[in-house]
Amino acid sequence: MAHVSAAELETDSLQTLAQATVGCDFRIRFLEGPACEQLRRLGFCETLRVRKLSHGRNLICTVCGTRMALSRELAQQVKGTPLTAA
Amino acid sequence: MTAREMETVVLAGNPNVGKTTLFNALTGKTGKVANVAGATVDLKTGETFTPHGQKLRIVDLPGCLSLNGEAPDQQLARRALLGELEELGKPDLALCVLDASNLERNLMLALEVIEAGLPVIVVLNMIDVAEASGIRLDPVVLSEELGVPIVPVQANKQHGIVELKQAIRHPLPPASGAPWASAEHPVEARQQLALELCELAARRPDSHQSTLSDKLDAQLIHPVLGWVYLIAIMFAVFWSIFSFAAIPMGWVEAGQGWLEGLVAGAMPEGDFRDLIISGIIGGVGSVVVFLPQILILFFFIGLLESSGYMARAAFMMDGLMSKVGLSGKAFLPLLSSYACAIPGIMATRSIDSAKERLTTIFVAPWMSCTARLPVYFLLIPMLLGGSEGGLTQALVLLAIYVFGTLSAFVVARVLRGRLGEDAQPRHFTLELPPYRAPQWGYVFRHLADRGWSFLRKAGTVIMGISIVLWALSTYPKSDSDDPAEMLQHSLMGRISSTVEPVVRPLGFDGRTGTAVLTSFAAREVFNASMFQLFRVEEIEEDETASRDRLRQRLAEETWEDGTAMFRPLTVISLLIFYIYALQCLPTSAVTARESGSWKWAAGQFVFMTGVAALGSLLVYQVGSLLGF
Ligand SMILES: Nc1nc2c(ncn2[C@@H]2O[C@H](COP(=O)(O)OP(=O)(O)O)[C@@H](O)[C@H]2O)c(=O)[nH]1
Repeated sequence: MAHVSAAELETDSLQTLAQATVGCDFRIRFLEGPACEQLRRLGFCETLRVRKLSHGRNLICTVCGTRMALSRELAQQVKGTPLTAA
Repeated sequence: MTAREMETVVLAGNPNVGKTTLFNALTGKTGKVANVAGATVDLKTGETFTPHGQKLRIVDLPGCLSLNGEAPDQQLARRALLGELEELGKPDLALCVLDASNLERNLMLALEVIEAGLPVIVVLNMIDVAEASGIRLDPVVLSEELGVPIVPVQANKQHGIVELKQAIRHPLPPASGAPWASAEHPVEARQQLALELCELAARRPDSHQSTLSDKLDAQLIHPVLGWVYLIAIMFAVFWSIFSFAAIPMGWVEAGQGWLEGLVAGAMPEGDFRDLIISGIIGGVGSVVVFLPQILILFFFIGLLESSGYMARAAFMMDGLMSKVGLSGKAFLPLLSSYACAIPGIMATRSIDSAKERLTTIFVAPWMSCTARLPVYFLLIPMLLGGSEGGLTQALVLLAIYVFGTLSAFVVARVLRGRLGEDAQPRHFTLELPPYRAPQWGYVFRHLADRGWSFLRKAGTVIMGISIVLWALSTYPKSDSDDPAEMLQHSLMGRISSTVEPVVRPLGFDGRTGTAVLTSFAAREVFNASMFQLFRVEEIEEDETASRDRLRQRLAEETWEDGTAMFRPLTVISLLIFYIYALQCLPTSAVTARESGSWKWAAGQFVFMTGVAALGSLLVYQVGSLLGF
């Protein structure tokens, strides 16, 4: 279902949302870890674009137009690729 | 018509989608709270009429993100939709309320509701917000894809309510199938479908532009500046409580004096008049004066919540709270507890982790609530000499607040460590809603709720205690005319001599001990008891002057050996007792309800009262040894 354009594939370096750069757009590829369910219910799911807004104990990002704070443990379970260089 | 004959329509939706607003728009605020056996969460039910005059029962289910979870509100919503609640029976129709500006998330719940197999109508609320953020909604396409009718509304302006009522008349739409539910991973399937539907029917402009909220957040949750704002805001809130509240408090006192004068003029002298004036009006009045402070604190809490700042405060506090085993989500409940532990404990419902929630409930009563203030106001000046007011006294008060709070944190930390991890670890997540102008309707509705429940407590519990207290100190009557002898002869006087040996090691005499004892159901009763026990007439219309008189009287009291009874050490011992003791029956009842066990409430009571007594004992004994 997820169509990935060539341009997006070029930056294909899988990282977790916790590692992503602040200010960067990030496409979720998959969720991995014990809290997947919780993440999905919050709207973090495959193929979605997330923008990371801040680092920290709890990082902040926007997903589906909603701003969410989530703990680092959770962010580490979100795997994806950065879309734009910061 | 009985409930069974009436058709039942349930309202489901995520939190904050305007479900309550829609409920009120449909039922004209006739809603009442229905208790469901075994559930901690309330259901609101009301009635509405279709354009054809058919009466329908509307039930507001708790707002939740998903039906498949263990949280009490989720379970209740799920059971209600599946028709497993005996009180409701099987609903005939579900209205699924969605926030049109956030369909990616909201549609997940809609899909779950459709899976429950009831006829469903989807209500797209907040279309104004969706439009303002540039989303292009296509309800027709959405309706075709989902196979259910869709009605766009703007609940707060009552737009679309007529259309909605038209949609819920007979024949009800048939239940729609849910092909995605049979997929191997239904959660993913739902997610995927929700996204596809949004692509089709709720196109977003290319988002992620920097908004006003972004700019505000850059300041307000800045790692350094954010603290400056948070502290400034909290300071402003507490400062206003103590300064502005004096004005309406004066009105309450004046009103009380006026009422007493009225009764005194209208009734012949006698026991009954005495009961009304000093028992009821005096007792209840001494509690109602604190209504302004409670209302002001809740006004600010409502303001901060509805403007979106409260979530930021919780976010900022998370790091600090995690040091004691709590999370940012415990911030709002604990803050509310400074006004009153009861709404504070109820606000713990938003905490996901069951163990964190229990811990928060347990320590909430140590956040110094406004009911303790009259006691502090009476005692603090005795510590420093002089009358009420002034900077030193304010500092002592602040120290008391800090002391209670820190103790609560220590206990939270120990308790959280003992309770261990949740069966399913819960990680911190928090939605940071966009900032918006305060919703005054929301703020004042909550304020009215809080004020009303406080007054109800004053009118029931406190009034009951006041009457009992009055009776205890009046009967049995003696032949003597001397008020001192009359009191000694009364039941209260006898109790007082019985408790004396018990409270003596804490530094209290029998009368003070009795006052403490009488305040176990509601701590604010302490002052009223002291007035009665030390036979000081309260001055009508002026609480402060009355307290001044009582203090003078107390300063003159001596032990048998001629030493002053109310030394600073005694006062500190009393203060310690009031900081820690759990003297509030309604709080214990709420703890039992919210934690789901009487044992928890009993444990809390025994623990806090034990700490209070031990603390006082220790302070008084060690202090005496050191020669204070
Ligand atoms: N702009 C806008 N605000 C709304 C609309 N419906 C409700 N609200 C506001 O949204 C807030 C949350 O509403 P409420 O009914 O308490 O939500 P609930 O948590 O789902 O019960 C309130 O401040 C309402 O005034 C709407 O259609 N448009």
